[in-house]
Amino acid sequence: MDSMQTLISSITIAKPWGIDIPNYFWFTGSSAAAFIISSFAHVFGWKKYKPIAGISLLMAFVLLVAAPLNLVDDLRQPGRILNFFMYGWENFATSPMKWGVLLLLAYPILIFFEAQALYRPYFVKKAQESGPLAKIFYLFMTFGRTNLSPEALARDHRLGFILGAIGIPLALAVHGYTGYILGAVHANVMWHTALMPIIFLASAMVSGTGLLLLLIPFFQRFLSERRKVDTDMVATLATLLSWFIVADLVMRFLWLTFSLTFADGEKYALYSYFQLHFMDTLLIDYLLCLLIPLIIGFTRLKNIPAVVYFGGFVTAVGVWIFRWNTVIGGQTIPRTTPGFLHYLPPVFGQDSIVSVLSNWGILIALICLVLLIFPWDEEMIDCYKGAEHAKQ
Amino acid sequence: MGKENSRRSFLKTGLASTGLALLASSKANAFSLKNPGRDAKDARYIGQKGKHFVMVLDLRKCIGCQACTSVCKVENQVPSGQYRTFVTETEVGVFPQVRKAFLPQLCNHCENPACVPVCPTGATFKREDGIVVVDNTVCWGCGYCISACPYDKRYFNKKTKTADKCNFCAQRVDKGLMPACVETCIGGARVFGDINDKRSDVARLLANFPTTVLKKAQGTRPQVFYINLDDRVTELFDTTQDLDDMVKVEQGFEREWMKVRKEEVNNG
Repeated sequence: MDSMQTLISSITIAKPWGIDIPNYFWFTGSSAAAFIISSFAHVFGWKKYKPIAGISLLMAFVLLVAAPLNLVDDLRQPGRILNFFMYGWENFATSPMKWGVLLLLAYPILIFFEAQALYRPYFVKKAQESGPLAKIFYLFMTFGRTNLSPEALARDHRLGFILGAIGIPLALAVHGYTGYILGAVHANVMWHTALMPIIFLASAMVSGTGLLLLLIPFFQRFLSERRKVDTDMVATLATLLSWFIVADLVMRFLWLTFSLTFADGEKYALYSYFQLHFMDTLLIDYLLCLLIPLIIGFTRLKNIPAVVYFGGFVTAVGVWIFRWNTVIGGQTIPRTTPGFLHYLPPVFGQDSIVSVLSNWGILIALICLVLLIFPWDEEMIDCYKGAEHAKQ
Repeated sequence: MGKENSRRSFLKTGLASTGLALLASSKANAFSLKNPGRDAKDARYIGQKGKHFVMVLDLRKCIGCQACTSVCKVENQVPSGQYRTFVTETEVGVFPQVRKAFLPQLCNHCENPACVPVCPTGATFKREDGIVVVDNTVCWGCGYCISACPYDKRYFNKKTKTADKCNFCAQRVDKGLMPACVETCIGGARVFGDINDKRSDVARLLANFPTTVLKKAQGTRPQVFYINLDDRVTELFDTTQDLDDMVKVEQGFEREWMKVRKEEVNNG
């Protein structure tokens, strides 16, 4: 006999994480990607990426300074932040959040010192050229090392290499741990997969490259003395983006095939989730935001900058949507009461649309600040001069 | 050279004094593996040594009166619209073979809780008598435990702005009283006690009746046991169909999270 169950009354469960969390994941991911791209030149010595390595490093820095503010906003008791550092250390091995905050502290400090080593000679030059007040500031930024001898420069280079080499695993960890945060939750059908840290890393590389594809040409065209976009670089980044999309798609393919097809009984909940969101996931997340940019980077379309900017923009947006679908979507799946939940972020207040927009405002302010402080333009022009010199 | 030396000695002094300060502060419990209450061996944090509290829910006796739901809110000052325990009311079967089935739900005080190990501040922990509690003076409200609980039995308390959940009325149990929901249960469906005491009601029920727990596959080893639990009722946990949810419809939704409307699901 067919059995039939009807729910007469229960309560609707409120979930803890809102719009701040996907935004936070997007920021840390993009930061990790920008750092890795800067390390292409600083650690692996790929000369092609040298001109954008400095600016990528600075972007990695600002993204990671802005990112944790999302978390502070998400806390219901932000005044108790010290409790995190003082108590609960017995949970260190089992709480990815515990690792995360330490990574979030260590990583921007490391990037700052790497950037300082990279720009130190330029700070010395600036100090020599500037008036008294600016001179004090630039001298401070040299950390008292004003020597410009070849040995001193070699030392800067070595320091940059070492910090970059330490930074690569740290960058992977700072975003990989966010995958752990979700993957560790065995109660959530969508999150609980060992692939989650790798899926997050792969999509982070996509969003970070997408973001750099928008920012770097903008800086070069409007803020640099050269006033010229390096279109070769745009094409190179577009191809790189396509490779990252390939990695991302492979990870997502592995994840979805196992969790939708070969999983145990829990797969049905995930199955109905994707049924419910089939068209928007397929059309927006996969077709528009991944497949189209993939084609752009692998074809001659990559030589048309406007098309590439479009590709960069949609991938950055697409990964944000993916973060949203994972964090919010995962929480909408029912665990103890029938039926999907629905989430609408509030416009004002904590964990709201305005707080996320404010976070973006802080990011833009920080970008302006580092662009003012760090002599990125001089360094970039020197790199281009060096490259042209090498060609002759 | 002299400059180098002075810098080095400054760094050394700085490092040494920071180290000493850290050492001194850890002695004064400024840094803790656990939390201040547990370090101070406060009785409310340690619980009753040697005992292990469990609850048995005899569903044959539950009539779905929600007396437990209400008394819990009064005893624990649970804000409006939020619940530490509630009874899900369902109908199973097809006419004329149809009956009502009730499922009282509360924190399962798991032997291997999913919520405790993820807590980054040590605010939530398991007492020595098995009761899982939250210290709302330490919790910083990150919500990780709420996400981790497979039973959705944690929520952000609107008043304290911290994670909150059933604590087996530890404040009553420590004074030798029963949890409020057990005390008020009209049918005697809720039975509470120390499983280590072989003469206790819970020990006798567990010895004499087949019992089961919710979501065994989660590996959390719940300490709330059900007699006569029908699979057809727990199946409702996983179903993604939107079924009637009358109580909530009448009370209004939470601010942000709500149920997807039935039409949306059907059209989706």
